[in-house]
Amino acid sequence: MDQKRLLAAIALSIGILLIFDLWNRPAREAQLAQQRQAAEVQQPAPTPGPVGPLRAPTDAAPAAGTPATPAARLPIEGPRVKGTLNLRGARLDDLVLKDYRETVDRNSALVRLLAPREGSAPYYAQWGWTAVDGRTRVPGNDTDWAAEGNALAPGQPVTLRWDNGQGQVFEIALALDENYMLTAEQRVRNAAAEPVQVLPWSRVRRENTPPTQGFFILHEGFVGVLDGRLREVTYSDAKSEGQKRSGVALEQETGAGWAGFTDKYWLTAITATDPAIRTRASFRHVPEGGQDRWQVDFAPTAAQSVASGAAASLATRLFAGAKEVHLLDAYADRLNIPDFDKAIDFGWFYFLTKPFFYALDFLFKLFGNFGVAILVFTVFLKAAFFPLANKAYKSMGRMKVLGPKMQEIRERYKDDPAKAQTEMMALYRTEKINPASGCLPILIQIPVFFALYKVLFVTIEMRHAPFFGWIQDLSAPDPTNLFNLFGLLPFDPTQLSSFLHMPVWALLMGATMWAQQKLNPQPPDPIQAKIFQWMPIIFTFMLASFPAGLVIYWTWNNLLSIAQQWYIMRLEKQRNAKGGGAVAIPAAVPAAAKPKKG
Amino acid sequence: MSAQRIGPGAQALRGAVIAYQWTLRPFIGAHCRFHPSCSHYALEALGTHGALRGAWLSGRRILRCNPWHPGGYDPVPPASDEPGRTAAPSADAQSFQPVPKG
Repeated sequence: MDQKRLLAAIALSIGILLIFDLWNRPAREAQLAQQRQAAEVQQPAPTPGPVGPLRAPTDAAPAAGTPATPAARLPIEGPRVKGTLNLRGARLDDLVLKDYRETVDRNSALVRLLAPREGSAPYYAQWGWTAVDGRTRVPGNDTDWAAEGNALAPGQPVTLRWDNGQGQVFEIALALDENYMLTAEQRVRNAAAEPVQVLPWSRVRRENTPPTQGFFILHEGFVGVLDGRLREVTYSDAKSEGQKRSGVALEQETGAGWAGFTDKYWLTAITATDPAIRTRASFRHVPEGGQDRWQVDFAPTAAQSVASGAAASLATRLFAGAKEVHLLDAYADRLNIPDFDKAIDFGWFYFLTKPFFYALDFLFKLFGNFGVAILVFTVFLKAAFFPLANKAYKSMGRMKVLGPKMQEIRERYKDDPAKAQTEMMALYRTEKINPASGCLPILIQIPVFFALYKVLFVTIEMRHAPFFGWIQDLSAPDPTNLFNLFGLLPFDPTQLSSFLHMPVWALLMGATMWAQQKLNPQPPDPIQAKIFQWMPIIFTFMLASFPAGLVIYWTWNNLLSIAQQWYIMRLEKQRNAKGGGAVAIPAAVPAAAKPKKG
Repeated sequence: MSAQRIGPGAQALRGAVIAYQWTLRPFIGAHCRFHPSCSHYALEALGTHGALRGAWLSGRRILRCNPWHPGGYDPVPPASDEPGRTAAPSADAQSFQPVPKG
């Protein structure tokens, strides 16, 4: 119709595409950086890497830049984690997850969660004390601790000990469970004549800014539940907040609570175990030599006063591992960690996303393929909304009979679409038919389908989960590409532009979306109708770089919508054929429409 | 009294509705059973009745917009300074309810 409007619509569509590309680019680059980084981190690992054999702590290779004597290390050997404890400074700075690999390749490196300061992505947990009285000698970053025990494993706790030579002995008793939880008890025994005042603290520190996915529906960064309230702070927010308040992005007192850093799939968090002890938790940003450092620390609000001959202790827990929903649930129950499952970004629709996860997980265990679980679950959701859709199409048969009348109205008000719309509505009302299902059913469905989308986005179950054919990882983009004829041409078009990626599943999604739109009523506004027509193309490009699992879900959802519409129409036809639905058009129709004319 | 000026609240809500019309609506398709459609109704209601009453009217309209309601022509009631008085239907609306049901 109107050339200008068409041009405007096209310009707008291209604008949306460009914005999306810009918005998505950091994520793409981050992904590359992450892969590079993963490759780097493997090398400078202080003890023989994650998959290397267990060694005595003394024969760790000296890393460049460290003091003359190499730091002693104590092996950590859990069923699901592997690493070493740095006895210099009492740091847990070397931990890999035995059940997760960097890539789909079964021989790829294990996922490294914690890494030492000497590497390129330092990330560690540490326990220590602050001398509140200003004179007690407390252990520091260079303190070499003596370890009691050969290795840290479940049922095999280890105690670190350090005597400050002034009558105080500091101890850190560490215990590891079968999964990802470490208990740390910090003890001070005072044998001196004077009382001492110390503040035991624990911290998780990250000395680089990790690559983030950059999607606004996924939180990565500082996370915690403090005094019953979920706190999520991104790295950039922490930086700007920290600059206002000398590095403190957030400070809050809490009873039982937890806080740490979350990645899309991993979490390192400290837990305050005793609800009776008030603890101060802080999120910090500290620039150090031009580098951003991030820290979460926990310390009691009141210092421990240790009289002569007495001892004081404080227990905390450290979670370092994968955010598996059932595991976090179990910890929340067993260890009384409030809302520990909120470490997974279930979002505003928690009341929907969490049950959806359980349902998906159940189907996953039933069918053994997460992709199939998604398909089956979507069928159930669609079935739940079927009555709404069915009701809307009950009047379909009558619509057919009214066809000529509608055509007449359309032609009469060719130059005035709004008027034609009004007349049409009047016709529907008098005939008690209406082709549209209404806004309410749609509005109800939006959060439901968004919740499913969100679950698929955040859940670790989709990571490295294969579907059929060429989809080896539902959480990664479909690797096929139209622009090199699906691999026939030996080059990678995405090197030229991220636009040049058009996988098979995205094309299928676009085709099904287009077909489904053909069955939907068009928006009354002509410009919007034009955008409406462009939508399948825009979405095909937008979803091209999305996780394959989501694109498959969209495609399947479109197919089901088409099938549903087809089925309802057939049902209606049969009903009419039986005679029940055949209606004589009342003579009132023309009368209803005519007075308006002229 | 709020009939003439559009307050910041109503303005923000109108912005949200317009954003919906240009982003979500083309995607999910227009399914409204009324004229004007729910989103246009909301824009008009927020403009003439302000944020509070406009949102209330729009919310009620959306609740009506379901398969069990016949739909049809349903304009925003005109602004009235007397809250007790029911707004008279417009001339248009009257001419569209000509036939008794049956």
